[in-house]
Amino acid sequence: MKKGEIILKKFIIITSLLAMAFLSIFLFYEPKNPIETASRYDLAWAPRTLYWGVQGDDVKTVQDKLLRWKYYDGTVDGVYGARTYRAVRKFQAKNGLTVDGIVGPSTAKALGMATAAAPTQGVNRKSDEYLLARTIHGEARGEPYVGKVAVAAVVLNRTRSSSFPNTIAGVVYQPLAFTAVADGQINLTPNKDSIKAARDALNGWDPTYGCLYYWNPATATSKWIWSRKVMLKIGKHWFGL
Amino acid sequence: MNNRRHLIAPSLLSLLLILSLVWGYNQYKIKQQHEIALENHYQRLFFDVKKHVENVQVNLSKALLATTKEHNIVLFSQIMNEAFFAKDKLAQMPITHAESAKTEKFLTQAADYSSYLIQRHLQGEEITQEQREALNNLQANSAAFNGEISKIHENMMESTFILGRPSSREGKKVQQANEKVFQTSLVTLDKQMSKTPELIYDGPFSDQIINRKPVGLPENQVSMEEARKIAGDFFGANKVRDIQAFEEGENINEVKIPAYTFHIYPENQQKDLAVYMGVSKKGGKVVWMVNPRPVSNIKLSIKNAEEKALKYLKDKGFENMEPNYSLKYDGTILFNFAYKENEVTIYPDLIKVKVALDTGEIVGFDASAYYMNHKDRNIDSPHIDEAEARTKVKTNFNIDSTRLAIIPKGKEEILCYEFKGKYNDSDFIIYINALDGREEQILQIIKDENGTLTF
Repeated sequence: MKKGEIILKKFIIITSLLAMAFLSIFLFYEPKNPIETASRYDLAWAPRTLYWGVQGDDVKTVQDKLLRWKYYDGTVDGVYGARTYRAVRKFQAKNGLTVDGIVGPSTAKALGMATAAAPTQGVNRKSDEYLLARTIHGEARGEPYVGKVAVAAVVLNRTRSSSFPNTIAGVVYQPLAFTAVADGQINLTPNKDSIKAARDALNGWDPTYGCLYYWNPATATSKWIWSRKVMLKIGKHWFGL
Repeated sequence: MNNRRHLIAPSLLSLLLILSLVWGYNQYKIKQQHEIALENHYQRLFFDVKKHVENVQVNLSKALLATTKEHNIVLFSQIMNEAFFAKDKLAQMPITHAESAKTEKFLTQAADYSSYLIQRHLQGEEITQEQREALNNLQANSAAFNGEISKIHENMMESTFILGRPSSREGKKVQQANEKVFQTSLVTLDKQMSKTPELIYDGPFSDQIINRKPVGLPENQVSMEEARKIAGDFFGANKVRDIQAFEEGENINEVKIPAYTFHIYPENQQKDLAVYMGVSKKGGKVVWMVNPRPVSNIKLSIKNAEEKALKYLKDKGFENMEPNYSLKYDGTILFNFAYKENEVTIYPDLIKVKVALDTGEIVGFDASAYYMNHKDRNIDSPHIDEAEARTKVKTNFNIDSTRLAIIPKGKEEILCYEFKGKYNDSDFIIYINALDGREEQILQIIKDENGTLTF
């Protein structure tokens, strides 16, 4: 009887300790939003990192430069092999860089290779591209490629319409306009396909022929949306005016 | 000993309770702060909209009364600003698009119309009777808008009115009240806006520009089967495994260029990678085509790619196309080709061709601009010569090249001298009207290692 009581007490103490340890997590817990994705995305534009084993024209450029500066003694064949590796290490040691045999951003810069060139006076389309890619990723991840471009085209068509804001950000962040904005999915890192689709849409490809709305017939709750003029179906979405 | 043990469990539990209470209170505080911040933001937007629309209305009334062009230009530029601000802020308020679309359109067009009138004034023209009526209408509309907003404002004086998402406690009631006042007054306003007559003018947001129909398509109508054949032939009938049409809606014929849209599954390409193509119903022309296959192993030079693109255009029956700008991305290069007639570059007749830089295959084609605008033109001969046009350009603008070009201006097309050159280390294009020597447009060119963009 007494033994049983002790076990019971032990049980209570252990569980409450565990519960405390567990619940105290909440005290210091702050929801972490996946917002800091921009830096990762930038890599998609930067020249790729070169290391032992990769091949390509960019490797040729490195080999050519190292050959001219007498670090490299092999052929310029575009294959990052042992000789290139040693040459890069030598170059890095001479120039006070981290000696790792990898051509990353800083080594590329020291080599004088074209890193993402600063465009004229900072004007460029990259922010539009990125925001559009995020919208596509949040709204139409599972769609076929043409469906992704179509969603981006709708955003762009809206910027040219009189009944909508006239900037991409204005359209995307208009309250109650996109579900992916409301539930934060827009902050996910876009994948390659979404970026490609955003670029295609920005370069003028519009598979919707000027549509301003789209909706998924399975999930659309607003009656109003069905009163739109229905044009065509791309993937899961209907597009309309 | 035994007694103390007795105390461990309850004290732990009470500690736990205190901790969770602290946590809960913190969360509550944070939530309240967020709500207040949001509410303040919405309140600010609301008051701003009210102020901006008031200014629009007042300035419109003044413009109707003013007699000098100079004064009118000042007033219209203010109207333009205020209307754009109002629209911008209205679009940020938590209202569904269905409830504010017409109001937003009204504000956009009020701004656009003002900008159009400014340009007319600067060209020395007076306000016509019709324009005066249009202004009267705009004035009446903004007055109605003001009335509704004032009503909402009166309701807001009662402290229960909350614009943002209401807190859960009195939530439901407040929300219902809000919806009644806020949404319904905006809905009535929206309905009222839709009754006003269409504004007729020449600006980027006018209905006439937005609802333009293509002029470059042949008259005959083609059936789905014919279109399917056209699509197959365009891609190369021997390369096609299967062609499927997209599902159409009932209003498909109301889009800009009504078309049949197809998936084309090519031979020896992965099953899930289709080529997409749109064939116009009127005239049976391929309006656009895209092949989203990935490209690796870049082998082609830009020069080679350009030759391939030109040959492709020739094969498809487009003669006299001239490559203008190019943009390299994702292993492909996109060329803009403009039509050229009698040594005049016609920018509205634009075709885009995308070349994959591995095999030189054409992976994108877009002739929608071409079919929208292409027609037989009687190109005027310039009334002023190049030297005279040159005098209209800033003297220290370093000109690299000059040629004649037709550029779009609203729904018109105008013949211009195109001066490409450098100013302060930046690239620009200046267009001088070849008929009257007016400076029509200035474009800045943004170059980077991948290509050229114009702004």
